[in-house]
Amino acid sequence: MEIIKTLLSRRRFLQASGTAGAVGAAALGSGGVLTALKPVRAQAASPPTYHATKITKSICHQCPARCGIDVYTTDGRVHAIYGSSEHPISNGKLCPKGPLGTYILYDPDRFKGPMKRTNPQKGRDIDPGFVPISWEEALDTVAGRLNTLRDKGESHRFALCFGRGWGASCAGLLGPFGKLYGSQNVPIGHSSMCSDGSMLSKAATDGNASYSAYDYRNANMLLMFGVGFLEAFRPYNNNMQVWGYIRGERVPKTRITAVDVHLNTTLAGADRALLIKPGTDGALALAIAHVILTEGLWERPFVGDFKDGVNRFKTGQHVDPGTFEEKWVKGLIEWWNIELKDRTPEWAAEITTLYERDILATAREFGSTRPAIALFERGVHAHSNGILNGMAVHSLNALVGSLFAKGGLMYQMGPSYGAMPVKEDDFMDDYAKSGPWKAQPRIDLQGHEDGYLIAKNMLQEVGPNSLAGKPYKLDTVMFYLTNPIWTAPDGRAWEDALKEVFVVDTSPFPGETAMFADLILPDHTYLERLQDAPTYPFQGWPMAQLRVPAIKPLYDTKYFGDTLIEIGKRIKGRTGEYYQALGDSENVIRHLAKGFETDPGDNGVDSFDSWKEKGVWYKKNYKWRQIGGAFFEWDGKGYNTPMTAEQVKKELFKTDSGRFEIRSGKLEHHADWIAAKTGRDKDKLMFPHWEEPQHPGGGDLYMVTPKAAMHAEGRGANLPVAIANFQPVLGGRGTVYIEINPKTARERGIADGDLVRLKSHLGSIEGHCRFFEGCRPDTVVFPMENGHWAMGRWAKGRSPGHCGEITVNQSDRVTGQCSYYTTKVSIERA
Amino acid sequence: MAKWGMVIDLDKCTGCQACTTACSMENNRLPGENWQDVLFYHEGTYPNVKLMWFPRPCMHCENPSCVSVCPTKATYKDPHGGFVLMDWNRCIGCKYCQVACPYGVRFYVDEKAPVQPDIRTVFPSADGRVWDPPYRGPQDDPGRGIGIQPHGVVSKCTFCYHRVSKAPAGIADLDEDIPALKEYVPACVRTCAPKARFFGDLDNPESTVNKLIADKSGVRLKDETGNKPQVYYLSGGAAASVPSLRSMTPSDPA
Repeated sequence: MEIIKTLLSRRRFLQASGTAGAVGAAALGSGGVLTALKPVRAQAASPPTYHATKITKSICHQCPARCGIDVYTTDGRVHAIYGSSEHPISNGKLCPKGPLGTYILYDPDRFKGPMKRTNPQKGRDIDPGFVPISWEEALDTVAGRLNTLRDKGESHRFALCFGRGWGASCAGLLGPFGKLYGSQNVPIGHSSMCSDGSMLSKAATDGNASYSAYDYRNANMLLMFGVGFLEAFRPYNNNMQVWGYIRGERVPKTRITAVDVHLNTTLAGADRALLIKPGTDGALALAIAHVILTEGLWERPFVGDFKDGVNRFKTGQHVDPGTFEEKWVKGLIEWWNIELKDRTPEWAAEITTLYERDILATAREFGSTRPAIALFERGVHAHSNGILNGMAVHSLNALVGSLFAKGGLMYQMGPSYGAMPVKEDDFMDDYAKSGPWKAQPRIDLQGHEDGYLIAKNMLQEVGPNSLAGKPYKLDTVMFYLTNPIWTAPDGRAWEDALKEVFVVDTSPFPGETAMFADLILPDHTYLERLQDAPTYPFQGWPMAQLRVPAIKPLYDTKYFGDTLIEIGKRIKGRTGEYYQALGDSENVIRHLAKGFETDPGDNGVDSFDSWKEKGVWYKKNYKWRQIGGAFFEWDGKGYNTPMTAEQVKKELFKTDSGRFEIRSGKLEHHADWIAAKTGRDKDKLMFPHWEEPQHPGGGDLYMVTPKAAMHAEGRGANLPVAIANFQPVLGGRGTVYIEINPKTARERGIADGDLVRLKSHLGSIEGHCRFFEGCRPDTVVFPMENGHWAMGRWAKGRSPGHCGEITVNQSDRVTGQCSYYTTKVSIERA
Repeated sequence: MAKWGMVIDLDKCTGCQACTTACSMENNRLPGENWQDVLFYHEGTYPNVKLMWFPRPCMHCENPSCVSVCPTKATYKDPHGGFVLMDWNRCIGCKYCQVACPYGVRFYVDEKAPVQPDIRTVFPSADGRVWDPPYRGPQDDPGRGIGIQPHGVVSKCTFCYHRVSKAPAGIADLDEDIPALKEYVPACVRTCAPKARFFGDLDNPESTVNKLIADKSGVRLKDETGNKPQVYYLSGGAAASVPSLRSMTPSDPA
């Protein structure tokens, strides 16, 4: 009764003034009340007729998903955003972030044109003294620095770091720029600070360095490890559409088990919620695999079987490899013998703190329900043992045969884009081909023995490495849609690094990195841009969206793609000629669209103009499917064309063996290096296996800082409506709490709502805590999007402060994954 | 004439609050002035904890207690469609309706803003309204509580009257998945990704909303008040659920 009473009588804004107060105010005639007595305005007889409302088909920018949106503009004012009905991801719907896009356009804190710094001193809370300059001056300044570096043979000291790349007309232009200009540091993506741990786990096992595409609607069970399916997992909007179907309409209802470290909406909505100890998801996956094998639940047509059909997987017992015939997997028996035979639910219960009965029930359900998908993201792999955890979870997909199956998972196909207007290879001068820059390693030591040999990118290392001068110091760095001073762990190192580097930021908004910038070259906001964006991994079949401007730019801003092209035109020699020939970003997009002329989309899009009108090109059939352990290609009518093992290797399992490698050839190739850097056993490091994670920070509680539904890809912090509704489980109305288990709090003399201090050896932050029984006693949880100091007026200084201040910069040495959720902190009353 | 009603299928609701933000932007609400809110609550002890949520719009009651207490007839039941609306030209801001409403869905914003700095000072109004954001929608109908309110009045959900009232006559359901109808659908229903919301004519026996209420045992919140809400909930025990009258925790006496 208390709950319902409290919730339902919660009258927002009715604070000190109760009933009596309200009457009193009316009687006394406080200003607002009297004003209301006179009519507001002559009221129209019928609802007013609007001037023509224009609907522009565009795409959202508030997460990677790329939902199609209908942008409503009346009298030059953008006033509403809804999902596009004709768009395969949004289907007319939106997540809570989508409608807030109008606010992003009209954000009063936006940069309004190019600016340069006049205060040579840089630091947190030091006014940069930005003054407006012309685009000519801005572009000439960047190009001048770049030309000078190139003349000195130091072009590698220019780096361009990017976060949310969208398509060929922005991020796609960066690679050629690096090649022509001569810098291996153009570009450095943020993938290691995103979710490379999952890409590399997949690359190690099935050969695809990519996120997966999923066929959730046909699955009968989803086993989710640390994905925040109903909070942050992309495409969030479509995930919820899926959820409504599989949980509310589908017969049979799809079973869901969700594994995470605190109770969130995904766990609340699941059939089974497993509150696991941070960093131990791999142990759970190993135990599930153990049960699937001992109880004979694996998918024989895909995995293979014992030659005589007798199951020899007995706990603790060695299996003779000669007795088993593997089909599409490699190394199963070796895995069993070296690791899995002892990984019982009882063992995993000890490691994960879960109940043995829950592990067993999960394993049996997952092993006996087809089709089933095991999906995972950062909760699993943002730890020092991330690659092992990721491989262990992904191997479950192999055991139940869900790779490329109906109701399983696959990889995303690219769109039928036309060729770029010109080829960069035709414009390579001698410097580009063999200049002194070629002898240098990347600044982040990606691909280098001293750094991260196998990683894709190591953005989190750029600042610290430049600061240390190892391998060298950067001269100039440019940022596109990334704000590493704030998003990197231990951002203080970045602040020191960027004090001594010429910084160019291209964000339309103020941010922490922008405050260290020497030049601001602001991009349009997304409702003002023409920008292509092939789909993020979705359902596998190809799709390419187009962001179409709803209105002309409000301010003197420039699309990043054009900023880059204009800088390129100012680079001396052949590079400049290439960019002259490229023209501008619209020319690039027009050339991309030429590919649709010969391969029109299902919705009839066959040209630049029709793409712009509809906002999306797609073709709904995925090309390949695994059915009962055999692979087939789509022939226009069905999956009828059988594939050879060679074709499967070329298109699907891109590994040495052409199979799903539980014994990873990719890791085996680098066994010496991995063993040297991680101390792992050379005979075991290529198999998914259990290893205790390393938790830096010096505290006694795990600090986990998830993204919440309202976190709008970097701008959620400055959206008042988002702030008002952030962290609904505990907070809201502008207040965000640190979740703490009451027992943990009481042991430390902390009361519900107390101001507390979280400390790691890097420093401390303060905020109010809230008791939450859905939080593990060994863990504190709060969303990451707080504590900005330069993001805008609403974002400034929001409690409980920024987790990056106390998050240690530790990465998985194999995947390069930045381990955001692995620092341990202590908590005390402030 | 239709009697518009909403059905919210709690088995499908994901607690994402898109209804809240879509409503907020469509109707130009202030941050925290959540005409359509989602309430979260939890019970139990680790690791046996239950987290639940409950989406809550105005119930547009058949027998609304807010209307009966209003001394100026500023809040009224529209006979054409069954909307409970506000006439801002009559409201004196006495807040009786806020107190009388059993559901807590009426708002008085002339108070300290929950999110600071106060957005009303950033986007002030030139013509006596509480604010004027640059993304303000074109609809303005103060006699029905549509658009941005003047100071000193109560605001509330209109069931998106400015959209619904333009729907073709005689239609049974306003289904956002039918392209020809989507512009008439309330913002919270139109945007709902898991399709947990349905909007239709409760007086039309053919309507999907009636079928859902019948087939899935729709219930009304706090039916004991006699307010007879025109919003029904379907609940099969998922995390989104109608708050129970009895607590599950013994220490929390019912």
